[in-house]
Formats: sequence, structure tokens, C-alpha cells
Amino acid sequence: MALMSASNTDTPPAAADLPREGGARPRRPRRPIGRSSGSRPRTSRWVEASMVLPALVVFVGLLVVPVGYAVYYSFTDYNGFPTQTPEIVGFDNYVRLFESADVRGSMVVTAIVAVAGSMVINAAALGLALLLWRTTRFTAFARVVMFYPHVLSLIVVGFLWSAILGPQGAVNSLLESVGSSPLPFLSDETWALATLILVIAWAQFGVQLLIYLAGLQAVPAELLEASRMDGANRWQTFRHVTWPALAPSVTVALITSMISLIKTYDVVVSLTGGGPAGSTKTFAYQILAVEFPKRQVGLASAEAVVLILVAAILAFGVLALRRRHDQGVQE
Amino acid sequence: MLVNLTDNLTKDFWNDLVKPFEDETGIDVKIEGPTGTNVSETFSSQLAAGTAPDVVQSIFPDDQIAPEVLDLSDESWVEDTPMVDTYAIDGKRLVAGVGSQAQSLVYYNKTAFEKAGVKATPQTWDEFDAALGKLAEAGYTPLQTAGQWETGLQLQQLWHPTLNTEQPEWQSAVADEKLTLGDAFEPMFEHYATWLGDGYIKKTDVGLDPTTADANFMDGKVGMYPLGSWLVASLDNAGELPFEVGVFSPPVDEGMAYPGPQGATMASPYMVYAGSERSDEALQLVEYLVTDQAAIESQLTADGVFRAGASVEQSPVATEIQAIIDEAPELVTVGEGAGDIRLPVVGLNDKFTEIVQSLYTGTSPEDAAKALDDWAEQNG
Repeated sequence: MALMSASNTDTPPAAADLPREGGARPRRPRRPIGRSSGSRPRTSRWVEASMVLPALVVFVGLLVVPVGYAVYYSFTDYNGFPTQTPEIVGFDNYVRLFESADVRGSMVVTAIVAVAGSMVINAAALGLALLLWRTTRFTAFARVVMFYPHVLSLIVVGFLWSAILGPQGAVNSLLESVGSSPLPFLSDETWALATLILVIAWAQFGVQLLIYLAGLQAVPAELLEASRMDGANRWQTFRHVTWPALAPSVTVALITSMISLIKTYDVVVSLTGGGPAGSTKTFAYQILAVEFPKRQVGLASAEAVVLILVAAILAFGVLALRRRHDQGVQE
Repeated sequence: MLVNLTDNLTKDFWNDLVKPFEDETGIDVKIEGPTGTNVSETFSSQLAAGTAPDVVQSIFPDDQIAPEVLDLSDESWVEDTPMVDTYAIDGKRLVAGVGSQAQSLVYYNKTAFEKAGVKATPQTWDEFDAALGKLAEAGYTPLQTAGQWETGLQLQQLWHPTLNTEQPEWQSAVADEKLTLGDAFEPMFEHYATWLGDGYIKKTDVGLDPTTADANFMDGKVGMYPLGSWLVASLDNAGELPFEVGVFSPPVDEGMAYPGPQGATMASPYMVYAGSERSDEALQLVEYLVTDQAAIESQLTADGVFRAGASVEQSPVATEIQAIIDEAPELVTVGEGAGDIRLPVVGLNDKFTEIVQSLYTGTSPEDAAKALDDWAEQNG
């Protein structure tokens, strides 16, 4: 069987360039966009720069300046009040951060939430995207329903699931009414962490679902058709055609879900309060609910800087892996 | 004014409370609830952002807050407010309150005690253990608890009378390195671990929210429920309960005088932001809240608050609490302490709850005490 695989071809053609059902349509010749930079007049450069400037101002004002402040405060002893002057303490906050058993514990919890959570989110989102790929009345409705949890505030989500899974919640009341023992969804350390991950996955997979649905729309129809003609079954079609074409979507979905998960805070507040016994205390919870209320702005800022670095390393790491994979495919 | 919003203290309550003041003075009072998880966190954020409210309710001054709030020492109306000197820092009166909230109370189901054959409320830990056993045999949940802040707070509340008898001003003793937090609480961790092992506390209760725990007690299936005096307001609002509620001061060690010192906090504390552009109006508002008879009575009844000499009609449970306060040899500060009697670390209550909850998951009392000392060392 000569199974056609996208990974054996050059870069797949863009969806707009593909022939549609009912026959091919003539392609318009592509026009070159602009001129080469070497031949651009000086006025053109000024115009381009002026167009970039507003975005640059917003970027610097909303991202670079706050992060810059966080980095500065991370080297100070400061309670955040205007009457106190930040006192430079060098790397003390970073040393304290890694020496603190509480902070190390919250890092471990966050790593588990990020890895396990992103696996659950992406598996659920991809599975449902494959089910809801074709547009029908039902799938259109189902997509809205699936995205709905993402619209809810995570604080509300936490309270909602706490009422369902709490020791006297709906599920345990039902179990007790049929003579079964209650399940310790929120009262056992391991169960509580698993519950937290699943609740976050329920609340957040909507965005990843949309990413995968968009990615699936771009899978070349002629490749799918060709694989079917070659006798490939559904799994083979998915493995050798759909999956490789979805790779960029997987990258985006993974990065966005992991970055979102390492910042997990709201749902912890309303679902578990970090308990029992600190078993669901995430790194962001440690920063916002423990260090800031203690007015340890320097230490909290150091933790925030570490969080930013981890997010950046994750994002660039996944992107680098993706590039290496793509280069491997092309070679 | 930044205020605490609870089941008892709703936004409507606060608006109604300040309405007469607004009508009389023409000053418009805007009530705001916490935007973070609590008032303390919100006030800290607002101070940092330069958007602090003119008046803040429900939190107490400490070394960091002190420079940010007005010294009320020169205000004559502060003189007679409850516990004002207990909360003074270096002689400065920075906060004024409405009354006192008793912290170390054990509510109990009188019907359950009768059915279980518990003839008198326990005064020693041995008697308390025996009562728990009898309540369990009679089919009641012997001791109700909950997760979140309640797990740790209850343990502290139960231990205050014993700890303060053994080591008066124990927070200062810790600050002076004459006592460690672990040594202070390890005996109570041992009591608690025994109750958990004997099934007197449901291990699943650690995942329960405090409001549900209140409801469980009011349903009549619970024997004892340690909590502060604020539960009175909920009990009074619950209407007729299927049992009679009683209340007693927690037990003490054999040989100690009973009742022991009663843990108490200033109720409805108010501070005025030093950077307020309307400090005169803010001071007028606080004066009204802590001295106006109608305002005081409204606050006393809303949240289980007590004040000597107040002519508020009390429920039978509130009357029992008033008697406990009157009989207590002294009112002592709780948790991290207050005024000049304070621990050298902040953030005790959250960590304490975490450590108490670890007893549910198999940590030994010795390890729990060590974890408390380690935390104090790392954060002191």
C-alpha cells in the first residue's frame, strides 16, 4: 500500500492555494510585497517606523516596564508601601526562595499541574476537535457547549465544583444515598491535586479545542482523500496525514495551555484554598496568597521573575523542539 | 471605607449602618469590599497602588501598617473604646473598635450531651476526651470542623486557655526565644491527632467549607463545635433549632484553674489612612461607628460582638457567652498577637492551618511541631 504521508512531502501548500471540491480554480500570480529594504527610500522607513511606534509604546508600557519593576523589586527588601524605600539586598530573595520548603513545594505542585494538566487538556481538546471537525447543526451547538466553561470565571468554576465534589457535595451525597462510601475529592492530598487538575482542564480546554478545530480546517483535503483512496483506515489517516498537518497547532496549544497552567491561582482559591495540608498550593498561589499578603514584595517579585523565566523557557523550548522536528522532517 | 463582607456583615448591612451618619453630616460614605481574598491583602495592594481607602475595617496595625495609619491617641472619644490599649503599639492608639469577640468557645448540642450521658461540660482534657467518646457512641459527630481557615483556627481556639495559663503572653515568649511555636502547640497537636485516630473528627471534613460546617452543627447531628462568638449571629438568625445550644470555655490541663484565660480580639476595628485627603471626615466616621449607641448596637447584634455595659437584648447563647467573658480571669490576644505582644513572624494562621491539616494525612504531632518551628525560622 502506497500510503501518502504529509511528513514525506515538502511544506504543505497553504489552504487558499488548494483546489476546492468541484474542480481546480486558476491561481493568480503572486505580487511581490514591497521592495527590498536596500532600495527603500528614507521616507518609507520613517513611515514604517511610525506605524510600529504605537505598538512598541504599548508593548513597553504594559510589558517591559512592569517586568522591569518586578526584576528591580526582586533585588530589594520592600513591603510595597509608599512610605518605605526599597532596600537593595542583592540575590537574597532568590536564595530565600530556593531555600524555602514552602516555595519548593509549590514549584513541585505547579510542575505536576502544568504537565498533567496540559496532557489532559490537549488530549481532551484534540479528541473532541476530531469529533466536532465536520460542521453540522449538532457540532456547531456542541462547539458552543464545549467552549462555555472557558467563559466562566475560574473563581466561579472552583465554587461550582466544590459544591459538586465536596465532602457533602452532590456526588458524595449521591454515593451515600446508594450506600457507597464518599470519595475524598477535596479531602485527600492526592485526590485533591487530581481533582484540581481535572477541574482546570474542564474549564480551560475550550481554547485548545478552538486551536485544534482551526488546525483541522487547514488539513489539506486532497491528502485526506488520497489517503482514503490508498486504503488507509481512520487511525492511519490520523497518524500519517492529520497529525503531521496539525503539528503547528499542537505547538501553539501546548505552549498556551502550559503557560496558562503554570499561572494557576483563581481556581485554587475557590476550590481547595491550597489544601489539604498545602497539597494544592501552586507557585502563583504562593506569590499572590502567601507572600503578597505578608507584604514581602521583594520575595514575591523574585518568585514572579522565576515564573516569567520558566514560562519563557517553556515557550522557547517547545518552539525549539518544534523547529528541530520540522528541520528533521525536511532533511 | 474598606470593610469585611461576610454572611453576617453584608454590603446592605454596612450601607444601613452608615446611613444615619450620612444623613446627619452630609458626608457620602462609599462602602467597598475586599478585591483580593481578604481585607488585609486588599489594603496592602491599595497602599502599594496609592489608592488606599480613607477608613479600613477588620484588620489590626502591625509594625509595617503603623506608619500608614493615623495615631488616634489625641482623640478623646477613643479613650473608652474596648481593648484600645491592648492593640496600642509603642503607646500609640492606632485602632478603635466596637467591642470584643470571644475566640475560645465550644458550642455544644445539649440534647446530644443528654442522650450521650455527658452530665456536665468538660473542664479538663480527660473529661473532653471522655465526652467525645460518649458522643460518638451515641451516634453524633463528636467534633465538627472544616477546611480552609477553620481547621487551624479551631485548634488554636481550643488551646488558648491552656497555653495562656502555662505561658502568659506566649507570643512575647516566642519573640524573646524563651519558647518555640512547636513547643507551644505540640501538646495540642497530640490531642488532635488522637481524636483523628479515634474517629472523633471526620477526616473528610478537611475538604468542607466553614459555612457547611456551621450548617452541620445547626442540623443537630454534631456534639461540639469550637468557634468564636460570631457564630451567635448565625444561630440567632437560624430560627428554631432542633436542639438547645450551649456554650462553654475550652478545657485546661488537670490542676489548672478553670476557666482559663479567654482568647479575644477587638471587634470591628477601624483605622484611618494617614494619607487620606479627607482625614477629618474619616475621623468623624470612625467616631460615629465606635461611639454612637445605635451604630454600636447594630454592630454588636450583627456579628456576635460583646461590649461591657451595652444594653443589647441577647439570646440565651449570647448571654452564656457574656458570662464566659465575665468569668474569664483575663482576655488574651490570639494568633500572632496584638499591639506590643506579637510573634516575630507574620502569616501564622495560614501556615498553621496547613500544618494542622497535615495531621489528617499522617504527619505525626512531633513532625507537625517541627514544621511549625522550621517555618518560623525560615520566615522570622
